[in-house]
Amino acid sequence: MVRSLLLVSLLTCGLYAQDAFTRNCVACHQTLPATLQEMFKRYLLIYSSETNMKAGIKHYLRYPSKDISAMSDLFVDTYGIKKKSILSEKELDDAVDIYWDKYKVFGKLK
Amino acid sequence: MLVSKNKAINSLLKSEKKSLFRFLTLYVAMIVFMILLLCAYYYQTQEKLMLSSQRATLFKYAFIHAKRLKVLHHFFDERVKYPRDPRFKSAIYDVEYKEIFSLLENKNIRFDKEIYIVDNHIHFLKSLDDYYLGTKYIVIEVLDDGIWREIIWKNIIGYGIIAFFVFLLFGLYLAKLFLKPMRDSIVLLDRFIKDTTHELNTPLSAILANIEMMDTDVMVEKNRSKLKRINIAAKTVSILYKDLTYLTLEQEKENHDEMIDLKALIKNRTEYFDILVQSKQLEYKLDLEEATMFVDKRKFTRVIDNLISNAIKYNKRAGLLIITLRPGELAIADTGIGIEENQIPFIFDRYIRFNQSEGGFGVGLSIVKKILDEYNIKIDIISKVNKGTKMVLKW
Repeated sequence: MVRSLLLVSLLTCGLYAQDAFTRNCVACHQTLPATLQEMFKRYLLIYSSETNMKAGIKHYLRYPSKDISAMSDLFVDTYGIKKKSILSEKELDDAVDIYWDKYKVFGKLK
Repeated sequence: MLVSKNKAINSLLKSEKKSLFRFLTLYVAMIVFMILLLCAYYYQTQEKLMLSSQRATLFKYAFIHAKRLKVLHHFFDERVKYPRDPRFKSAIYDVEYKEIFSLLENKNIRFDKEIYIVDNHIHFLKSLDDYYLGTKYIVIEVLDDGIWREIIWKNIIGYGIIAFFVFLLFGLYLAKLFLKPMRDSIVLLDRFIKDTTHELNTPLSAILANIEMMDTDVMVEKNRSKLKRINIAAKTVSILYKDLTYLTLEQEKENHDEMIDLKALIKNRTEYFDILVQSKQLEYKLDLEEATMFVDKRKFTRVIDNLISNAIKYNKRAGLLIITLRPGELAIADTGIGIEENQIPFIFDRYIRFNQSEGGFGVGLSIVKKILDEYNIKIDIISKVNKGTKMVLKW
């Protein structure tokens, strides 16, 4: 019993040691053929700026729909639309901020 | 006639000069403003022409750059080297005008204009529909060699100066037309006076000669005072006649300058005017020292006559006529009506009379000024309304 409790506690602590993006996004996207980097570039192609893009992603995660998806119709038809996000506002903001910082173009071009 | 007409035209009245000056100032200001406006329009047009000739090239560069960005977007972030071109510098901005990457030398971007010049650089702005790498705006920059500007400035200065002088000549012609009616009336008046004066000579000489010849001792008192009044009237007309003769005929005669004794001349003239002085119950106050002057006696007599005549004419009844003579200075003062300060600059203009109560044509002081100017004699007018006027001659 004690052993089981310890194992659950350790798993929980390990899970929360990861950031909001890794915790909530990476795991599911790993199974998809399109990488998060590619998806980021698709969003960039549509929204251009940081503010627009973050707002666009958040809106899609809250109200996922084929009509507003950045991905192609073929991709959506094959892999479907994700489920509506149940993350808190703060958790969602943190995840999107990390996503932007990780893949943004600013400061990377030489 | 032609000589006198030219003389009249050449000697502008002060009021005419003022009108001419005002007209020319306004006209010059207007043509300068108009030329500047045309220059500004020409400059802008030429600048637009130059930019439109550059526009096609810069558009081509922007198109090439957009294609390169598309490729880079596809391979990002395996490839991160921003595309460069020796023909131009470029920069990319997102939809919020935030710089994504820039190679520009001048980073003053005007997102409201497609093409413009900034500090010797030409910027061309292209807006993208697909935001490769988040790029909404591509800015293409090339160096502006400024040769077109040098050509424009040369044209502006060259043609501007030519246009200015052409307009100026036209303005002078207009001014001449503008003054012509005024001038014609003066010429007409001169001609009339000249003709009239000629007819006055014989009867006036006869009157004065006969008055001198009359034996007043045998006359009864009543007739003697009547003769005195005739004498005064005749002398007044005589002064006017001399002024008009001088103005129309004698001023063109050659000068006979000589050293004259001013004290003696003034005494002689005061005696001549004595009868006029008495008629107005004036009192002479003479303070005369010895003084001489190298001048044409005939002309300077006209000066003194006019100044004394005015001092009598505009004096109060039973006032004073003060004449002070010092070496290099002559002052003739009265205790009369005076002249208003704003009218003083115009009192030497011909046919200008500020007081209509006294007779005359308004030519006396014009003659005085002409003669004084000829001999470089300075005249100062000190006057107070209802106190009197003092004319001071300095040489």
